Amino acid sequence: MFLQQLVNGLTLGSTYSLISLGFTLVLGLLQMLNIAHGDVFMFGAFLGLSFATFGVPLPLAFFFAMLGSGLMAILIERLCFRPLRRAHFLTPLLSTIAFGILLQNVATQIWGSEPSRYPQTTELAQYQLGPVLISSIDIIILVISLGLMVAIDLFVMKTAFGRAMRATSEKPQTASLQGVNINRVIIFTFFSSGALAGVAGGLTALVYLQITPFIGIRQGLIGMVAMVIGGVGNLRGAMIGGLLIGIIEIMNDAYFTASYRDIILFGLFFIFIVFRPQGLFGTKQREA
Amino acid sequence: MSVYMQGVVALMGVNILMALSVYAILSTDQVSLGNAGFMAIGAYTSAYLTVKVGWAIFPAIVTGALVASVMGLLVGIPVLRLSGLYIVMATFAFGEVVRTFFLNFEPTGGAYGFRGPIGTTLPMIYGWVLAFILFFWLLSHSRLGRSLAAVRDDTEVANSIGLSVKLLKLGAFWLGAFVAGVAGGLYAHYMFYIESNNFHILVSTMAILYVILGGMYTFWGAIVGAIIFSILPETLRFMQDWRLSLYGAVLVLMLIFRPSGIITPMMVRNVASRLTGIFRKAGA
Repeated sequence: MFLQQLVNGLTLGSTYSLISLGFTLVLGLLQMLNIAHGDVFMFGAFLGLSFATFGVPLPLAFFFAMLGSGLMAILIERLCFRPLRRAHFLTPLLSTIAFGILLQNVATQIWGSEPSRYPQTTELAQYQLGPVLISSIDIIILVISLGLMVAIDLFVMKTAFGRAMRATSEKPQTASLQGVNINRVIIFTFFSSGALAGVAGGLTALVYLQITPFIGIRQGLIGMVAMVIGGVGNLRGAMIGGLLIGIIEIMNDAYFTASYRDIILFGLFFIFIVFRPQGLFGTKQREA
Repeated sequence: MSVYMQGVVALMGVNILMALSVYAILSTDQVSLGNAGFMAIGAYTSAYLTVKVGWAIFPAIVTGALVASVMGLLVGIPVLRLSGLYIVMATFAFGEVVRTFFLNFEPTGGAYGFRGPIGTTLPMIYGWVLAFILFFWLLSHSRLGRSLAAVRDDTEVANSIGLSVKLLKLGAFWLGAFVAGVAGGLYAHYMFYIESNNFHILVSTMAILYVILGGMYTFWGAIVGAIIFSILPETLRFMQDWRLSLYGAVLVLMLIFRPSGIITPMMVRNVASRLTGIFRKAGA
């Protein structure tokens, strides 16, 4: 029973990790929050859904969802961040909230506010691994999310472009002097952040939720909680934070009461921010 | 006035109070993305007092606001340790905790909401609004107000000239929470029915938007912002289903083209000097 819940928690948590990675990528780079991130998640879920209902095979539908959400994130950078680089730090934050309102309502017009679900295309196979029952969808989710996490981590840590990203987040001016094209780094970062959220949206919609235009709000919040618990600006921390939140959520629902789930999560968030703002894995650093 | 107009004007008053509550906190270089939480505390407390305990509306609203302001202190103290985005996230979390608390708290109806508070009238709302405008006007012309401005403009200098920065910041949180509590009490007794979703994160963010777009360096900006953004969504009704989408787009565009607000201190000074100029000419 406990092991089963642990696997469920990991599966749910891995989608949270993808969202919180996207948050951390942007925050680490610009020291700014993209509140519309949760709505990019929602957008990705609907895009994947639309392609899947048109009969596009699921992997391809996910790919398009990823591409579309990535482009949406680039649009957010263009409208909400680039024109406001010199403004008060609250201004881009509010602008992304306004963009979120826009996105939610456009989605309502396009897809309607009734909850929608993916068509049942894949046969659900169930595998019994010792005491744990795991479905093919769980495996797909775990493989895709963990794969993406490893890929992003390797990319940021090992490649030249990843080094440019790290340099830019450390000190933009110096990076620029060293020949890093800052705007390219920023655009790429937003794209990957959006693409990750889009995949998370598609995967989540596949199992857990019926999607509505407003699911992004809670998912975005959860991603933020995961990011803070893992340590702001710390990619691996964000991944582990997401997994932890998923496990806590599932354990709480299994052994406690589901209605206090969000109080516990947000309470934890508040306690972390106030008493351990560097998170579990962060080192004490300059404050954003 | 039609019932529809009355509703718009009443909510405008509540929005002005919410904008002032955000302004109070912003005016010491802090932020609160959780003012809907203080509003909720004021709303539920006062509604419980009038409906279940049988109090009159005025003491109930004041008590609700006092409870909210105590909560403001409890949030304000840990927040003193933080800066910038961390304050945003902490207050954000606070607002969500309050909302989910009331969603599950049975004595005030839980998920079914709380029915029954009545008694808010337009004069009552605008009485409070005028009282707070007078208060903020007096504050901005007082030594205390100038101290607050000093904290906002440069915390370190304010500290070095012997101002008690922590106390001023805490006081601002207390005041902001109090004003939001009053707004909540008035709102609850106007709507007859409240539920946790009335105090959604969007309420907090709209309150900040009023102040940022109105102009965050004078309380007049907060008021103008609240007025404009209470009327704007109504004027977009001809867009029907696309109304809220357009509203979001307008906000994004306004932030691009007017990132430091409609009313800036410069503008207030210009208007003031023009006015005094006119009076001087008239006098001469």
